Amino acid sequence: MKIFSGVVAELEAQGAGILEVFEPNPEEAVIRLNLEDFHRACLFMHKRLSSAVMAMFAADKRIVKSSFEIFCVFLSREHRKWCTLTADIPQDRPAFPSLARDIHSASLFEREIREMFGLEPQGHPDLRRLHLHDEVWPAGLFPLRKDFVLSGPVASDGITYCFNRVHGEGIFEVPVGPVHAGIIGPGHFRFSAAGEPIVNLEIRLGFTHRGVEKLFENKPPQEGLTLAERVAGDTAFGHGWAFCRAVETLAGLKVSPRALYERAIFLELERIYNHFAGIGGIALDVGFSFPAQFAAVLKEKVLRLNQYLTGSRYLKGVVCIGGVSRGFSRQDTRALLSEILSVSADHQELKKMLYGSVSFMDRVDDTGILRQKTARDLGVVGLAARASGADLDLRKVFPGIYERSDFRLIKQEKGDVLSRLRARMDEVDESVRLIIYFVDRLEEQSGTLAADFSRAASGRAIGSVEGWRGPVFYWVDMKEGLVDRCKIVDPSFHNWAGLSFAVLGEIVPDFPVCNKSFDLSYAGNDL
Amino acid sequence: MQYSWLLFQALVAVFCAPLLSGFIRKVKNALRMRRGAPLGQPYRNIVKYLAKEEIVSETTSWIFRAAPFVVLGSTIAALMFVPVFSFSFSAAGMGDVLTVFFLFALGRFFLALAGLDAGSAFGGMGSSREMFISSFVEPVAIVTVAVVAAHGWSAESGEMSRHIGTSFSRMVAAAALFMVVLAETSRIPVDNQETHLELTMIHEAMLLEYSGRSLAMLEAAASTKQLIWFSLLGGVLWPWPFGGAMTLTDGIAAMALFGLKMIVGALVVGLTEIGLAKMRLFRVVDFLGLAFLFSVLALVILSLGY
Repeated sequence: MKIFSGVVAELEAQGAGILEVFEPNPEEAVIRLNLEDFHRACLFMHKRLSSAVMAMFAADKRIVKSSFEIFCVFLSREHRKWCTLTADIPQDRPAFPSLARDIHSASLFEREIREMFGLEPQGHPDLRRLHLHDEVWPAGLFPLRKDFVLSGPVASDGITYCFNRVHGEGIFEVPVGPVHAGIIGPGHFRFSAAGEPIVNLEIRLGFTHRGVEKLFENKPPQEGLTLAERVAGDTAFGHGWAFCRAVETLAGLKVSPRALYERAIFLELERIYNHFAGIGGIALDVGFSFPAQFAAVLKEKVLRLNQYLTGSRYLKGVVCIGGVSRGFSRQDTRALLSEILSVSADHQELKKMLYGSVSFMDRVDDTGILRQKTARDLGVVGLAARASGADLDLRKVFPGIYERSDFRLIKQEKGDVLSRLRARMDEVDESVRLIIYFVDRLEEQSGTLAADFSRAASGRAIGSVEGWRGPVFYWVDMKEGLVDRCKIVDPSFHNWAGLSFAVLGEIVPDFPVCNKSFDLSYAGNDL
Repeated sequence: MQYSWLLFQALVAVFCAPLLSGFIRKVKNALRMRRGAPLGQPYRNIVKYLAKEEIVSETTSWIFRAAPFVVLGSTIAALMFVPVFSFSFSAAGMGDVLTVFFLFALGRFFLALAGLDAGSAFGGMGSSREMFISSFVEPVAIVTVAVVAAHGWSAESGEMSRHIGTSFSRMVAAAALFMVVLAETSRIPVDNQETHLELTMIHEAMLLEYSGRSLAMLEAAASTKQLIWFSLLGGVLWPWPFGGAMTLTDGIAAMALFGLKMIVGALVVGLTEIGLAKMRLFRVVDFLGLAFLFSVLALVILSLGY
């Protein structure tokens, strides 16, 4: 309360009627407001904390208090806190003032709230639906409302989605997807091109919408964890840990340092294998097949290491509420160290191969620039934001076990494909260093692997982790030992907009490499 | 007699052409420490396509259906004017080496139209890129052939065969032609045959709408065209001593030598493709501009008497 009270006082001075301020745990501050003041307070926090909207969502509380609740979460790096603004929306007037015209990063969240809860963002410039496609879903169905029942197939109203059109002589549209030639997720890309240069790119997603947030409802947290690990296949561990953190915070569970060290090791392993996949992908998309193959070998080595350590190549079922499901033996740590050192040595070779090739560097340098200001305005997060000069890394904001590891935030300035590539290369080095550090400390730790977890306390908490792509955000609302509402924000949800800006002015055949350099998830976005 | 040799040469060349593609793939995969598809995979593909049903978009016109015939036909016709095994095996008297480029242009014209015909965005992009690149390729090819032809003041292959022997100008011309060959056979750094990314394709993009028998014909045409370019390059760089009247032993030796040249060519192309990333599309202008410079330089060197 003390740390944050200054900001709250400033907010009050703006004339916002604050109903309640409380700090449920050291990482969070919650400010409850009247709906009339919600808009003004959000604008103030956005500017004061210089934070994008990190998450915005609603919850259906009509059974308890005949109203919906709306939440807008900012991140204060200065106070090391998530700052949640919340207000009640009465059920007889299901609308709220839209932030989208003032804060771009709120735009997609508001569209999501509209289609999932039927709450109208008043003044929003673009009300097209994101996940529930008009071609499939009729109007008036709001899946995240508590009274929603899906009894069978739905019939569309016969409306089709309307893409933004660019008018002018010689402009033509190139539709790509949602089914692609490679093994990637489904997404539709609509290019408006004048010859080869891209004038506009509209990305339509939502094809893998599975209703994950709905599936969380009324599940015990253990089942929720299984679900969380399956939200985005390449961030299974990151999502699992973020969900666990929320539940652990609520239950007041103390996770032993030993388990935390192990978790951090797995998080970094996940980062490393994904970075190798991405680096190889960038090389492959410019037709540089030898290093691409080399990177694929490195990725496979890390996956096999994962398999050896945990029995799961993609680290599923490793994290559990209260700790980790299996501990390292001395033999394991030895194997881990020797393998990670050998991978790191190969990684140096890979770097030489890529940085030393003139034809490769010519392709990635200056391609797909996302300027720092654009990234900030769009609310781009994680790896892509750091490649454009942002300082945001949750491992810095909420260091936890990283506190004494001398963790170095990897940052690039230019924001082109090369910057994103360099950021990933450097992060691999940093992750290797961290793993070695954690393994060293792990030897000294004895504590339990997993704290006892019997029943979750009711309440709400945020769980977050800096996954390889960026911050993975979970907001969990527990009621009587079951999940009442779980809001997930994968970094992809923030970053797809960044891609559509980065490719402007680039030529159409350079799109794949720009896309790969962002390396975003379809499943994590569509939920 | 000469015409039966000619026919025989054409048949052997068309039949062996996919093997060259398969071999280049094998070379590339070996360099990447991969096992890769078997050598005969291009044949299997063609057989597979022949057995498959052909789907033709309703929005296409006759051009779409005619294009595979025109492309394959013109490529095989071009084969008649190229000294594949020996100079004496070509349709001397009916046209000279320049005819090859005109026949290629005919095939390209129809393929580009067919790419546009189905109205898919990828086909149109492929056609536009193909025409863009060919406008840089053709001048280089013609100047290069002029360098060789100038040795005997004739572009007719029988006449050219009397002026064999390596010279400095031929080497420079061959450097220019090598760059053209990379562009014309959709190789890195100009195009990438292996990619699945439609947005980056050039030649493959024009074929995306094709299936079944038409696709088989276009694939056969592409590999035959590749063989023609390789043998042109071989002819410029390393002319062979077989000309005039041929005995059977000469013929076999000529074919063996030809095979050797193709293997060397495949190794060089495979290495080049592994060692480079694909260029940005508009950089191809610089690349082929350099090729043009080389070809003109070869002419200058020739005029100085080397």
